[in-house]
Amino acid sequence: MWLTLTHGLIFLNLFKISVQLQNIDTNSFTDIENDYKYDSVESSLRYDDDRVNIGSQGYLKPIKNEVMSDLDNNKRVGLFSMEKPTKYPFKEHLELRPLPKNSLLSSFQFHLSSNEFSIDKSDRSNNQYSHYTVFPRSISPLMDNTNTRQVHLRFTHGIWDHENWGRLPHDGRKSGGSGVELWAVIEASDHNTAFDQWVKLSNMLSGLFCASINFIDSAKTTYPMSSFQPGDGEEIPLFNASNKLYLLRGALANEPVCTENMAPFIKLLPTKGRQGISTLLDGHKIFDSQWHSLSIDVTTVCESNSCHYEMEEFINVAINVPTTLARSVRPIPKPVDGSELRCDNSKHYDAWTCFPLPESIEGKYELSKIFGKYIMGSNSLSGYPTQTCVQVSDNWKALVKVDGSYFSTDNNCFDVKGEDWHDIYLETDDTTQVDPVKASPVYVTRSLTGYSQDKGGLRAVFKNPTSEPVELVYFESLPWYMNLYLSTLKIESKSGLKISDVIQSTYYLPAKDRERPTHLEYRMTIPANSTFALSYQFDKSLLKYAEYPPDANHGFEIESAVVTVISPVKYEFRTATLLLTLSTPDFSMPYNVIILTSTAMGFIFGTLFNMLVKRVVTVQEADKAMTATGLRGRFLVIKEKLVKMFKRPKPKSE
Amino acid sequence: MSNIRLRRATAVWFLALYLLIGVPVWYKLTTIHRAPLPAEYIESLYKGNNHDVHMVIPVYIMSKTFKFPDLHDAVQLQVNHMLQNKERYVNWSLQVLPYPEDGSVDLHNEYVVILENDESPGFVIPSDGRKTILFHNLDNVLHNDLPFFVSQSLVEHTFQLEWNRLNKKYTSGVDSNRVKNMAIEYNPNVHLSISLLSGDGNPVSWEIEHVALKYLTPLRQFLSPLVNFTIDTNIIYFNDLNLHHLKNRSLLSQQDLSQTIDLSELSSANYYEEQNCLHLAIVFPSNSTGSLPFINSDKHWNSFLVPQWGTLIINDEPLPENPYLSEDYLAPVMHKFSNELLQLLGFTEDSEGLSSPVITLDSFKRLTILNNLNHSINTLWSLVKMTSNLPQMTIPIDVLTNVKDALDLRLETIEMLNNPAKQNSHEVWNDALIKSNKLVYLCEKAFFHKEMVQQMFLPQEHKVAVYLPLLGPISIVTIAGFLKIWREQDSESDDDTSTEEGASKEKMQ
Repeated sequence: MWLTLTHGLIFLNLFKISVQLQNIDTNSFTDIENDYKYDSVESSLRYDDDRVNIGSQGYLKPIKNEVMSDLDNNKRVGLFSMEKPTKYPFKEHLELRPLPKNSLLSSFQFHLSSNEFSIDKSDRSNNQYSHYTVFPRSISPLMDNTNTRQVHLRFTHGIWDHENWGRLPHDGRKSGGSGVELWAVIEASDHNTAFDQWVKLSNMLSGLFCASINFIDSAKTTYPMSSFQPGDGEEIPLFNASNKLYLLRGALANEPVCTENMAPFIKLLPTKGRQGISTLLDGHKIFDSQWHSLSIDVTTVCESNSCHYEMEEFINVAINVPTTLARSVRPIPKPVDGSELRCDNSKHYDAWTCFPLPESIEGKYELSKIFGKYIMGSNSLSGYPTQTCVQVSDNWKALVKVDGSYFSTDNNCFDVKGEDWHDIYLETDDTTQVDPVKASPVYVTRSLTGYSQDKGGLRAVFKNPTSEPVELVYFESLPWYMNLYLSTLKIESKSGLKISDVIQSTYYLPAKDRERPTHLEYRMTIPANSTFALSYQFDKSLLKYAEYPPDANHGFEIESAVVTVISPVKYEFRTATLLLTLSTPDFSMPYNVIILTSTAMGFIFGTLFNMLVKRVVTVQEADKAMTATGLRGRFLVIKEKLVKMFKRPKPKSE
Repeated sequence: MSNIRLRRATAVWFLALYLLIGVPVWYKLTTIHRAPLPAEYIESLYKGNNHDVHMVIPVYIMSKTFKFPDLHDAVQLQVNHMLQNKERYVNWSLQVLPYPEDGSVDLHNEYVVILENDESPGFVIPSDGRKTILFHNLDNVLHNDLPFFVSQSLVEHTFQLEWNRLNKKYTSGVDSNRVKNMAIEYNPNVHLSISLLSGDGNPVSWEIEHVALKYLTPLRQFLSPLVNFTIDTNIIYFNDLNLHHLKNRSLLSQQDLSQTIDLSELSSANYYEEQNCLHLAIVFPSNSTGSLPFINSDKHWNSFLVPQWGTLIINDEPLPENPYLSEDYLAPVMHKFSNELLQLLGFTEDSEGLSSPVITLDSFKRLTILNNLNHSINTLWSLVKMTSNLPQMTIPIDVLTNVKDALDLRLETIEMLNNPAKQNSHEVWNDALIKSNKLVYLCEKAFFHKEMVQQMFLPQEHKVAVYLPLLGPISIVTIAGFLKIWREQDSESDDDTSTEEGASKEKMQ
């Protein structure tokens, strides 16, 4: 006997979603406003006459709301076309500048901003969402989880020809020392927390950019005092007033920069290398250059309680044009055909002899030949169209090629419009004449001196070719296994300069073995038209057996020194990295020592044991015993017999 | 002159030193530290199958019309009978109590059965509390049907989840489509990633901020005792998850789809701190791909549930020019996602309905606690097995501390489960859940201790290679010397006699 009754309406308005815990057919959504209600609950109870459990089923059934959508079936509900496209905070710009000696500097610049977020992190309620549009989703958690307010990452490789090419692009603010360089401003309550966050940050970045940034540990981390300071007027927000800001910096000298580091760079862009200037970014071409630098700077910008992150992603690359063009013609290097050789006809010239002419000064090339790709349309995400500017002198012709036609503008800046493929065409009759480069205000070179296994010296040469004194901060972070003696600091100068003439103040934090590096910062003034060298001595430490890297004989890379020019111009550059050779042990030595000592100990023990345990007898006894037994005994018997035999026939002389 | 005894004693001393001091010292100095784990106790727990767990859920009976002074005892008997007839993984039972008249029990927070007189029998489980309202008529009372009614509605309906899932015949994680392991492993923190993907680069905007607050916040609030979500939303351009390979395909098998769709870019993101991540991806094909005929739905999108990953919404047409996705579009998607999210979390399965969200959530908490208990014992058992199979593995003291703490915590949790009446019962489940989560964490911390695995790279051969140059010669000298002097006895004594004879002869001469 079954009785069914309906009691009361149950509107599960506790929350709308829970209503759908039933098996509702996917296709049954017709009206989203008032879709499902449990009209009634059929609750059946069975009588228990025979006390047999027969189970119950289906006591709750969803009632489908049969209201059909009055919209046209072909129209997609809730999907509109707006009059104007949405504009997102994204901007991209390409700057091209031919450099002397047939090189071309290309600077890809991307600017992105995140959505606004509230600074009030105590509101960890269920209303917290992170929304992203063009800003990469992977960067914000990195900043949030480590309380980082600013992070700057540089991947640089190659040689920038300071004397010919002048200053670094963007006054050196966007390039680091050879290898990987990272510095960040971290908000923390104390020093240790800041360092823990820093380690976390470097680990996260390491995963994000496929680089060994996680090898930046306490022995590679410094807290710069006068270098790496934020720019003028730049305010770094503090989310919690009781906290402090810490500036930490670390570098991996000469760390290889490779395609796998660049792929994440492109992935961070909303255009993903498929639109705008990012289409030109091909690892093969970027890394086949004389000098390249990939940089990322993320900063926090706040207005009252609302903040957002701003990110600048720059890729600068200096390419030698003839080499790159030749590479695209002949991907596998092979000798140039005889007919293509440029020979000096004024000298002896035949089928076998050719005196080469100097490189042609005429230049004519297209960007697509250099990067192997075209600019595939403008980026459509931002309000700003993709822009390409060429900085050339008057003897150059810069044209933009769209759909087979060439166009030029007065200022050599071209807006990339629409979805057409764009190309830049450059032509000149004299490649040595370029837009004048700004000379570097000061030159610094650094080298290692000495060839001993246990000590060495560092020598930095400062040269100011200008007629103004230059004020700068010289920053150096040296590994702990270089035991520096600051007392040996010497100046060599032809004009008789003294140390006190050039160094205004010194910040020196000595290294602690395996814990922190030597941190040295000089505030210096380089007098006009002067050259001098600073040198100091250091001892080389012996590393522990396991501290040597697998390629111990390669030597140890010493990171570059950072020169921050304060006046007369703001400029920043790094010296080259150094390669320090430490005495490398014979790695099989410990085992040899073990074997040798063990052998000696075994020998001594054996002798001692035998002396104590073996029977001591006199020589006669021993001979006797030997005669009685053993091979030697028999030999002696035979010998005796033989002696007797030979003695017998011999007549006595007496 | 005979010093054989002295020499033999020396050899014996050397051997004794070698065996009694040398060998133990060497052994002591070269063995690795192995903290003594309570292996037997863990084994008994593992093999005993939660024998010490007996989960008790207190239930109060309140009658509005009549007074039944002995009803709770009768119901208790009936409930026990019902439960005992069913084979269960874990012992659990209801503790049926009369509702105290002083009102000291909170009607809202405790499980209460309210008996109401009505024309015909039936029951209702209201959605907003832990109540079960049972209607009965006078006939039922006369025929003594009430105890069975109450126990039936309690066991089979109010505690339906326990009734089903703690059954030995229940196979977890298999839904009606025979999809195994739909749900992710339970973790109190889960990240939700909502992505809008377009095959093109035209800017899209969507009303996600408003929609998230309206549709996801209530869900987060509801699930907050069990799972904490962190949620982010993103628009991804130039990624259609390989939909362009399905251009013009009108028929598509599930296999085709799962082989073509490339979720790697979404799945490989590891920037969030949570261990688990679930996704909602709404993907539009690019203009060059055009419309996808295999999506046939009035809504112009189909949804696909990807086990342990999330929900994938594939739209049939590319985005229009300057597109804007309004709430009208996103709401059904969010409905669908929330619905499937509960499945992905293991909260519901296809075959189960929801009686009352509060009651289901409570049940799920209890099931999670039991799962955590099982999981932690399994982890500890694996630890014990691993360490016993690998005798060269070190067991640091930290591991032992963690194991001990975990076992203590386990007892505390079980104590709470077994005697929930000690506290406010609705708080017990929350506290026990937190404890059991910590328990799982401790067990995993013990199992994944860094040093334990590291030690494996120092092989036994290495030890032998380093010590053999010293121990080899010493052992050979000591043992061979001892054997030699031991064998020397006979010849020595012969020798001795012969020399003695010789000496006496000499004397005589």
